[in-house]
Amino acid sequence: MIKQIWLKEIKSELYTWKSTVWLLVTSLLFSFTSYLLLTNKELSLLDQTELLWILSEIIIGVALLIITIDASSIINSEFEKETAETLFLSPMTIKDLILGKLLASLSLWVAIFAVAAPYIIVASSGTDLALPFLFFVALLGTLGIVGFIGIIFAISLVYRSVKNTLTTSLILLLVFSVPAFFSSTLKNNPVAAWFSIIDPIDNIFSSLDNILVDYHTSILQNLNFIIPLSIFCAIGFISLWIAVKYFKKQGVIRSTQ
Amino acid sequence: MEKIISIKNLNKSYGAVKAVDNLNLSVDKGEFFGFLGPNGAGKTTTIRILTGMMEPDNGNIEITTLNHGTKSDIHRFLGVIPESRGFYEWMTGEEYLLFFANLYQIEGNAVKKVDELLKKTDLLRSKNKKIGAYSRGMKQRLGLARALINDPKILILDEPTLGLDPQGQEDIKKMLKELNSKGVTIFYSSHILPEVENLCTKVAIIDQGKLVAQGTIQELKDGAKVDTLTEVFLKLTTPNHD
Repeated sequence: MIKQIWLKEIKSELYTWKSTVWLLVTSLLFSFTSYLLLTNKELSLLDQTELLWILSEIIIGVALLIITIDASSIINSEFEKETAETLFLSPMTIKDLILGKLLASLSLWVAIFAVAAPYIIVASSGTDLALPFLFFVALLGTLGIVGFIGIIFAISLVYRSVKNTLTTSLILLLVFSVPAFFSSTLKNNPVAAWFSIIDPIDNIFSSLDNILVDYHTSILQNLNFIIPLSIFCAIGFISLWIAVKYFKKQGVIRSTQ
Repeated sequence: MEKIISIKNLNKSYGAVKAVDNLNLSVDKGEFFGFLGPNGAGKTTTIRILTGMMEPDNGNIEITTLNHGTKSDIHRFLGVIPESRGFYEWMTGEEYLLFFANLYQIEGNAVKKVDELLKKTDLLRSKNKKIGAYSRGMKQRLGLARALINDPKILILDEPTLGLDPQGQEDIKKMLKELNSKGVTIFYSSHILPEVENLCTKVAIIDQGKLVAQGTIQELKDGAKVDTLTEVFLKLTTPNHD
């Protein structure tokens, strides 16, 4: 049943003009950034590792934004278009629905990563960073995205409204994005430093920085970033588990409907 | 007769409004059971609780012989046309039924089964059309085809002929009679009283969430000393009706 839900979403989400436009815009954005970084007189003087870092920031940022928008509607559209009832009248369970939709959202991440990969390969040419960098963008991106999807799905099950879920998720994304742009001086502040440790986006960027600047390309050398990201992932699943309990208590159709 | 559905002391409130008030009723196996009531009487709420889509405040629902499994196991034996009729408008009729056939993990040839149902519901010629282009009546028939995809033992229908033209209504009635003659228990909620009188063997009438009458149509007519089910309905649900 998970496979059926996933295939349905792939067909309705990924093979549509909406996703094609998203992927096209993503590709144009990566092309535009790469072009600027390579041709602008000042920017082209940047160190190649710094160029890669800027590119990876854009890739992760764009992927998180697109997946936040997609995940905010993927469950709630079933409630808003009144298709949820017929789904739950079949033997499908809430677990099947969530896992099917999770796979669909992750498929969108895979598509974005596939678009981004050639840019990373070209931007890292002449160095031996291409493969480890691709691996870490995939690993760290997946951990962060899975955590975000878990939290967004949990919000979806509570609100059952695309508009409310999207607004809350975008605010959450904004809150988590801010520490990533803290200056080194600001990060010396204990509160900012603590927030940086738990913030998934900051951990992704710090880990990529660790790979590019210090050439720490093994998982062990990046564990201090991967562990908080894995904890964030677990928090995403725990919030989803709590939201499922709440959903079951409320029923497929809420008493207010 | 073996009871297949038992509703005992069922209660459901929306804030201060009691939608279902201590409802007790039972449906025998193989029965064509009419569930009647004016607008806002609590029919849809009862059906939603019955199908597991809504949680009751208290009370008990038993679907006999099917109660040994989980909610999703029970759904394998139920066919439902709910009040909310959302469809995946971007799918074709055939894709839609195949999607549900796969959710029910229909054994054997699902495509053949889907084709049979499309033929039965007179949608075979439109099977490759997007559902978005279907008329209301066609969607209604597609909903019935979906409810039948798992060869259900119990059919629960909330206003199944709503929006259908007379021919469409006749076709559906004919199909339901045929299914009932094959042993399928039908729980049928409708506003069209002559239709209920024509189809159902037993009826229950609820008003303001309370059961006001239950029995065979003849028993209700005799009890109210009237000639038609419509008159029984009006007498029991309309205040100061002569």
